[in-house]
Amino acid sequence: MAAEMALVKPISKFSRSTPKFSNPGSSSYSKFSTIKMTVTSQPTTPPKPSKKAAKKAIKETLLTPRFYTTDFDEMETLFNTEINKNLNQAEFEALLQEFKTDYNQTHFVRNKEFKEAADKLQGPLRQIFVEFLERSCTAEFSGFLLYKELGRRLKKTNPVVAEIFSLMSRDEARHAGFLNKGLSDFNFALDLGFLTKARKYTFFKPKFIFYATYLSEKIGYWRYITIYRHLKANPEYQVYPIFKYFENWCQDENRHGDFFSALMKAQPQFLNDWKAKLWARFFCLSVYVTMYLNDCQRTAFYEGIGLNTKEFDMHVIIETNRTTARIFPAVPDVENPEFKSKLDRMVQINEKLLAIGETEDIPLVKNLKRIPLIAALASELLAAYLMPPIESGSVDFAEFEPQVVY
Amino acid sequence: MLAPATLTLGSFTSLGAVANYAHKPLTLPTTRCPLLHCSQPFITTTRTRTSSVKTAVAAIDTDQLNSSDPAEKQQPNKKYYFVVANAKFMLDEEEHFQEQLAERLRYYGEKSKEQDFWLVIEPKFLDKFPNITKRLKRPAVALVSTNGPWITFMKLRLDRVLSESYEAESLEEALASNPVNIEFAKPENWVAPYPKYESGWWEPFLPPSASEKHKV
Repeated sequence: MAAEMALVKPISKFSRSTPKFSNPGSSSYSKFSTIKMTVTSQPTTPPKPSKKAAKKAIKETLLTPRFYTTDFDEMETLFNTEINKNLNQAEFEALLQEFKTDYNQTHFVRNKEFKEAADKLQGPLRQIFVEFLERSCTAEFSGFLLYKELGRRLKKTNPVVAEIFSLMSRDEARHAGFLNKGLSDFNFALDLGFLTKARKYTFFKPKFIFYATYLSEKIGYWRYITIYRHLKANPEYQVYPIFKYFENWCQDENRHGDFFSALMKAQPQFLNDWKAKLWARFFCLSVYVTMYLNDCQRTAFYEGIGLNTKEFDMHVIIETNRTTARIFPAVPDVENPEFKSKLDRMVQINEKLLAIGETEDIPLVKNLKRIPLIAALASELLAAYLMPPIESGSVDFAEFEPQVVY
Repeated sequence: MLAPATLTLGSFTSLGAVANYAHKPLTLPTTRCPLLHCSQPFITTTRTRTSSVKTAVAAIDTDQLNSSDPAEKQQPNKKYYFVVANAKFMLDEEEHFQEQLAERLRYYGEKSKEQDFWLVIEPKFLDKFPNITKRLKRPAVALVSTNGPWITFMKLRLDRVLSESYEAESLEEALASNPVNIEFAKPENWVAPYPKYESGWWEPFLPPSASEKHKV
């Protein structure tokens, strides 16, 4: 799962509160989280004070990957086969078979290329790679935690759905573990146990979990397959072997997305009214904007593997949107050039916001300076949201189905 | 905590061991190799590729017939499930579909599992489904499998497809098709930062009998 959902409560994220631990399930919005990094040795980076090296606090920004939690009782009710007789169990059984097949059981095996490639990566690109691995690992691990818990909680009321969640958490654990081993090539390790306890959890109602995780999985697929195919065509940019694993890897993401498709189809009330349309557009927009702003802060990474960041992102957004239009009742018109112009303006505003954070001003002054920029960002977002959307949806539901020619 | 896969790749040896499925290891490289060197003119690569695929498919034909004939006699009227849409959608636009089929074929190879899914271009069985054909652009392509739940899954994935099932006495009858030439115009504005999958990727998935006919 590629957690690309951070814009849901944007404003609150600009002020950083005091360090605080929050429990999974609580919906307090403390803005602090720490990732404990165990550093074994760092011969390649400039010397740092040892205390700082042993425990690296990640700078929490607007766009840091998040952990999710949900209303598990409501989930239990939604998928209780006794209460909800209309559940399309055939689709779930089909998915269960597909997940049990476990195409990638033997895929995630490392070789010595990894360490060698990591040693060759020096300078700024090395830092960027560490950050990429760290963020990806966090995102995968966040999927693992959520799916694992859902697998546990739904066991009684819907064993089939529960087992699929468990099998998806198997995949996510594999992915996170593989990325964490990648970090060890750079002499880092994410302490995932610590992360579980210390990190802030974002609470979403089940309906929103479906939208958010569906999009996360599908956008994750498009990101990975795009990187994979680009590097296959341009092997001179193949600087670290993890990308060679992406082709099979991202098929997992794609299947996970399919499962959320089935979950939503089993709850048509989340897909078929005007509120659903508004939420669907909102979640699409949040995910796309988050990714765009995120990636534009890290152009060095994408350029380092030979991609043009904005072109890469637009490709991923357009493809994800086309995929999403198979299930969401409405999606934004991302192929309208005006959409990209708005994204680019948001990037400019976000850069100014970040620049304020870097200044020496006292917090009050910083916050005052931020106000007009936040307003500008919000108005761009709103304008993007209000652009005429595209009516969409699965042909199993959509009103336009009788007109479809297959 | 985490369970990163550490299983052995030992099963790979079984690929060569089972003669009946000799086509699987052969088809793997053909689906995986082509795009790497795409700066080269398309035609050359396509040509080499097509010929190697044909050899691969031709090689299994006799095996396939020998091995599956008795089974078919014992079990007449096997059920086949399918999803169908126009060829452009199935073979040209939905590139993830190619990845999925290649993944499944790889998996079947690893597990020495007999192939139970095929792509059928202009299938004859469509004549039985007037309600489908009247809504279908032609040429049409069907994904057919004896594994019903998998087709249910594929319907969920592809969405813009029609799904049904039918019975047939033999594999040959089930997968019979009216041969047509499939060609797609190159996309006008291809903006992806990678080349498109090459035309002809579907050949490893065509029914063995169909390729046999083409050859003869």
